[in-house]
Amino acid sequence: MARFLIRRMLSAVLTLFVVSVLTFLMFFALPRDPVSGMCPKNCNPERLERVREELGLRDPLISQYAGYMKGIVTGRDLGSAQGGRCDAPCLGWSYVNNEAVLDTVTRVLPVTLSIVIPAAILWLLLGVGLGMVSALRRGTWLDRAAIGFSLAGASLQLYFVGAVLLLVFVYNLGWLPVPSYTSVFDDPLKWAGGLVLAWLSLAFLFSAIYARLSRAQMLETLSEDFVRTARAKGLPKRTVYGRHALRAAITPVVTIAGLDVGAALGGTVITETTFGLRGLGRTAVEAVRAGDLPTIMATVLISAVFVVLANVVVDLLYAAIDPRVRLG
Amino acid sequence: MRPRVAAAASGAIALVVTLGACSKNTGEGTTVDTNRQQTGVIATDPKESAGPAAEVPGAQKGGTLTIIRETAISHLDPQRTYSFAGLMANPLFARYLTTWKDDGKGGLVLVGDLAETPGKNVNNDCKVWEFTVKDGVKFEDGRPITSKEIAYGIARSFDPDLTSGPTYLQEWLADTPQFDTKWDFKANKTALPPGLTTPDAKTLRFEFTKPRCDLPFAVSLPTTAPLPADKDTGVNLDNRPFSSGPYKVAANQVGVQLTLDRNPNWDPATDPVRHAYPDTFVWSFGPTADAANNRVIADNGPDQSALAFNFVPPSLVARVAGDAALKPRTILSPTPSANQLVINTQRVTDLKVRQALNYAIDREGLVKALGGQTVASPMTTLMPPSTIGFKAYDAYPAGATGDAAKVKELLGGQTPELVLGVADNTNEQTIGTQLKTNLERAGFKITLRNIPDDAKLDEVKKKDNPWDLYIGNWAADWPSGASILPVLYDGRTIKAEGNSNQSYFNDAAINAEMDRILALAPAEQGPEWGKLDERIMKEHAPVVPLYADVAYNVHGSKVGGIFISSVFGYPSFVNAHVKP
Repeated sequence: MARFLIRRMLSAVLTLFVVSVLTFLMFFALPRDPVSGMCPKNCNPERLERVREELGLRDPLISQYAGYMKGIVTGRDLGSAQGGRCDAPCLGWSYVNNEAVLDTVTRVLPVTLSIVIPAAILWLLLGVGLGMVSALRRGTWLDRAAIGFSLAGASLQLYFVGAVLLLVFVYNLGWLPVPSYTSVFDDPLKWAGGLVLAWLSLAFLFSAIYARLSRAQMLETLSEDFVRTARAKGLPKRTVYGRHALRAAITPVVTIAGLDVGAALGGTVITETTFGLRGLGRTAVEAVRAGDLPTIMATVLISAVFVVLANVVVDLLYAAIDPRVRLG
Repeated sequence: MRPRVAAAASGAIALVVTLGACSKNTGEGTTVDTNRQQTGVIATDPKESAGPAAEVPGAQKGGTLTIIRETAISHLDPQRTYSFAGLMANPLFARYLTTWKDDGKGGLVLVGDLAETPGKNVNNDCKVWEFTVKDGVKFEDGRPITSKEIAYGIARSFDPDLTSGPTYLQEWLADTPQFDTKWDFKANKTALPPGLTTPDAKTLRFEFTKPRCDLPFAVSLPTTAPLPADKDTGVNLDNRPFSSGPYKVAANQVGVQLTLDRNPNWDPATDPVRHAYPDTFVWSFGPTADAANNRVIADNGPDQSALAFNFVPPSLVARVAGDAALKPRTILSPTPSANQLVINTQRVTDLKVRQALNYAIDREGLVKALGGQTVASPMTTLMPPSTIGFKAYDAYPAGATGDAAKVKELLGGQTPELVLGVADNTNEQTIGTQLKTNLERAGFKITLRNIPDDAKLDEVKKKDNPWDLYIGNWAADWPSGASILPVLYDGRTIKAEGNSNQSYFNDAAINAEMDRILALAPAEQGPEWGKLDERIMKEHAPVVPLYADVAYNVHGSKVGGIFISSVFGYPSFVNAHVKP
């Protein structure tokens, strides 16, 4: 177990390193000059050059990268143009938002977590639940209804579902407040009220995949020998389905869920845009648009951390669910 | 619509968002006030600069006014403010040397804000200017505002760390565009830049090497907002500016929400324009233009006292324009942001061809293609109607859709082949396609060449650019001909790159006339610029004036007093109030 964890951590660090180098290089391949956008209409080339100098954009690439990495570990002095001393973990200074990137991240990350985690719980419960029910009631109206529901979810787009929900529940009926983010620690009710539409629309769309996947897996498992054996032993239905079949059927679902949740934590940009929330996803997209390297780096790295972490969690879950899997 | 800051880089990006490509039915019952004209003057009587501002009929104190906007305001630090949203937000918490009394219909009076008058032209040569600071003006901590803090504000605008703000004062004081090398703010924090002095706590004195007759206008920009040196937090001031105006920052979640509450030390008796009726202003960032306008149209709960700062997007125009019940809640007004078909006069040297282009233009078709009269308002002059001394004329009456006979006559059987460079953004693509059809119908041969959106402005600013025609936009920083005609048509300013004179027009007689007008007292210049505007078009036709951008905003049913600034073309908040 310990060996497994260490190995995974090392490969995670390597992944993050590669991601960070690629992001850094890609930024310089972008056609956009971050400085020209900062300059008013009567700016001249000489002044632009001085701003570039001041922001360290003229230093060699390697030293810019090394400086950035050093900042994360030990903090560094960014100079007066970028807010002065920046303590570890220093993610740099955004000259677009005019604040330390760490401040941006600590503000937008809770928004994304608040959208994704409850939504993921909802879509897993809903998706796996529907899949199980339709597998066990195969061919009945319940099965068909569940399949229809998931087909609808899989074919619709979030910006459409979200806009319809907003129009009906917020603008026309006025049952729900305009989506906004409040910290769950300040006011849990307001937190839920402001995000519930985002959860529902994400859950509706995502649960479709899980319903179909878990239905198929469950049907396959139910036809296997060990299930027949279990039935033949005279085990109660609940034990056969719940303990034996479900465990085997759910493994692929866990894999997909790990990837989905990891990716969603990296940024649910469409959800955030539809509901006017500012989480990691929108921050990242806006940073790319503005050529805001420090913010791009931070958002990309954090997304990568989530995906890597989600994969480790999935592996651990495998071991817990399926006794045949041994970590080591 | 066009972020002023982005004029240097990517002016059209915002346009893409606002205009889109949809054409739509604008419906009946919605008219743009096209008769609006500037009748601007400079207040000479100190009484006009004194407070309090005349009450807005029916306005009451209290309530929270919410302004919903898609993206955050790029800078709050007054010395760095240059975007339209910033210029509209700043007066809530910052006061300047001078400001505009604006009736929202083009009637403008330049008055003293912190200063008792809009400046004294000491020797009548525009080289030495003095401002006297009003009594009773205070910062949010109760300290009095003196000439020292105003001077410090101007001094810190020399700091290269504080990018993005206007640079007029700095360049004029240092007498070079490289002002930050001429005077180093960081090394001289206790001193003042060359030419700027404070003889006493009430007097601020500017001494320039060249006549700067536009100074009273230039000091209406936020560069002159005061700041005590001990409150200067450098780049961090952007998120927590120190207030000299009626409101102060209560909370600022960058990119999410900016909350402003009352500054108890602001005295209305000193302020000629601001009313500060609402108790609180909340800027809420995040919702798209569609979402924000939908919310305000729905008019539920707190949104009844909200304004969508982003203009009504194309997807909602038909709905808003077609709903008579919404009419009292919409504002539709042309802005001073003017768009032209710029003719590269180095390449199109034949005056007749340039005049023919002017006769050929189908402004009605263009406005339709752009989305109708809620987006664009046709114009035939170089200066927008909201310029002091504006003269309405049409040098080449082309009717609504162009005068084919006149074009034929001028071209004399020739088919000029012209290359039209257009940025690859939705807005310019729409204009480009429309113009090609329009001009080819009239007898030209037009080749469209796409220019990457990011690079377009830099490219057309190069003297040797390879295009005959391109689309230009100019929104002046103050409504004076001096900030438009010499900037765009003085041929002596032409360099290898970075040109604002994008028609590369250079005529000795016109240049001399500009010098003559610039030497006049600011108050006398207005009508002269109007005449010169017409003369340039009649004699030289260096552009085809196309249209002015139109502001189209919706607010909730409890909002009152919002008007479109005659100076910047965006909603102004000085008269805003919340109905109980």
